[in-house]
Amino acid sequence: MSGHLQITDLTVDFGGFTAVKDLGLTINKGELRCLIGPNGAGKTTTLDLICGKTKPTRGSIKYDGKELASLEEYKIARAGVGRKFQIPSVFKQLTVYENLEVANCKNTGVFANLFRPGHSSHRDGLEKLAEFVGLADQLDLPAAYLSHGQTQWLEIALLLARDSELILLDEPTAGMTAQETHKTAEICNRLKGKHTIVVVEHDMGFVREICDVISVMHQGQLLAEGTADEISADPQVREVYLGSMGIGDA
Amino acid sequence: MALPSKSGLPISRQTLIQLIVYGLVCLAIFIFPFILDNDFLLNRYARYLVLAMVAMALSLSWGYAGILNLGQAMAFGLGSYCMAMALKLRTVPVHTGAGGLPDFMVWNNVESLPWFWVPFYNMPFAIIAGIGVPVAVSFLLGWFMFKGRITGVYVAIITLAALVVANLLIIDAQSVTGGFNGITDLAQLELFGFTFDAYSKSTYFLVAGCLTVSLFVALMVTKSKAGLVLQAVRDHEDRVRFFGYDVASFKVLAFCVSAGIAGLAGMLYTVVLEFASPTFLDVSLSLSIVIWVAVGGRQSLLGAALGAILVAGTQSSLQENEFFLDTWMLIMGALFVLVVLFLPNGLASLVDIIGRALKRGRGPAQRSTSSPAQTSEPAEANVSKQGAE
Repeated sequence: MSGHLQITDLTVDFGGFTAVKDLGLTINKGELRCLIGPNGAGKTTTLDLICGKTKPTRGSIKYDGKELASLEEYKIARAGVGRKFQIPSVFKQLTVYENLEVANCKNTGVFANLFRPGHSSHRDGLEKLAEFVGLADQLDLPAAYLSHGQTQWLEIALLLARDSELILLDEPTAGMTAQETHKTAEICNRLKGKHTIVVVEHDMGFVREICDVISVMHQGQLLAEGTADEISADPQVREVYLGSMGIGDA
Repeated sequence: MALPSKSGLPISRQTLIQLIVYGLVCLAIFIFPFILDNDFLLNRYARYLVLAMVAMALSLSWGYAGILNLGQAMAFGLGSYCMAMALKLRTVPVHTGAGGLPDFMVWNNVESLPWFWVPFYNMPFAIIAGIGVPVAVSFLLGWFMFKGRITGVYVAIITLAALVVANLLIIDAQSVTGGFNGITDLAQLELFGFTFDAYSKSTYFLVAGCLTVSLFVALMVTKSKAGLVLQAVRDHEDRVRFFGYDVASFKVLAFCVSAGIAGLAGMLYTVVLEFASPTFLDVSLSLSIVIWVAVGGRQSLLGAALGAILVAGTQSSLQENEFFLDTWMLIMGALFVLVVLFLPNGLASLVDIIGRALKRGRGPAQRSTSSPAQTSEPAEANVSKQGAE
């Protein structure tokens, strides 16, 4: 079976240290997949490999039947892969609206953009996106003034403005309050089905709230895969990661 | 509030105010000679306007795209030499007889005109070269730097090194460039039947016209979507790349437009000063440009231009005053430090600070009439970023 995102034998070697080893993942269209695992398991590196920030030593990453492993970052992004970084990354000096305007671009060529006004006519569509992540009242506010949680949501909205079909979220709830985490889970749940999503996360409550299938990584390899209940019952997973507490209490 | 569609205009209110202010300043520059009828002083002010052009060009690459180009004087100098070569060739029949060589070549025992001098007999070619050569050199340099993902302080070092190399090459090739002396004894520029005497209104108007046109061209670039993407690159380069933009080509664009304007300014500098010299590619001039832009406000095109006029003007009046003869460098340095410490966005940001203070002074009654209190404040902050005066 071949999924929307098909990773096979993915390996990356950083001068002797193998961060990801013979990883295989199959993620179907519209699925939300969570990647969990202890620190240094290679979760973020896996996202780096998919979006092109890191080049694999060997292996293949097929998205929509297209091989991504050898493409440059901006070409992978054009293919429809959007990445939210662990450290919230937005354009702090631009307003929320301008942030969305930068992300919302079908034609990314230099000269096409030189003769196009900075403020386009799709304001309505972008306003709806801002509303979707709860930033409708902050449209004209420079992104530097947003709270940490709002910045995270803005970055998710940017990926949607870019029209990314595959969304990679790296610890979207890091540093969020319980309420903010809940709201982020809501956003993820509403995106499920329309977008294929890969989430790297430590917050087990959050993972339980959004996930169908969880993949557990350990030392660069896939350790287990299954539903939240299956995973929390897995003795191996309990040993390396969850400890004796189990999912839901962590 | 600062955006279109709500007002029904094709441009935002903020852009409209900006256009009006830019227009008024340009108009003032054009009216100036009618108030001051002194050809000697006009020549001096024309010189400041040329420097304003270079500073504005640097603000485009530094303030908007985040490329700190310490070698801005390279594009400037190359442009000035192109113009000087063309104007020198016009004096050949007068000084050394028809078919002869420029005087300095005769002194250096050059026997025939070097091949790259020949096309400069043609004035349109020279003008195109004055912009094209700096753009081409910057394109190559920019391509290697930005494709190689070189950023920040390394860009500053490389551009500075490139400037030094260009300067040394010109000094070293004395037989064809005039070496340390530069190219002097030039003819006056003639275009469309006008003769541009350096000490006349015509040259001043030529410079003012070029400054106006390039100011608005640069403004258009910053207002385009590409300009927005460039500002995004300045804030977070990787994020832009992961939206599918080829960041390097956007940076090369900003670098080249900036070099083109600097090249044009260089040509005008030769016309105004009536010579070209390796000092135009000097490190000290190049760093002065950075200071002008920092003082004026690097995120405002007009701020940078006015900063150049202000600082260069103060610089030369201090230099002429006997009292400040030894200390003017210190005074300029102190001014720079003060501005960087207290106004990191330059004098241009004063406008926003005063605007915000006025708004606060008008009290809460005023505020409640504009949409939510939250959005009225940020709209101001937004202006400070765009640097509208």
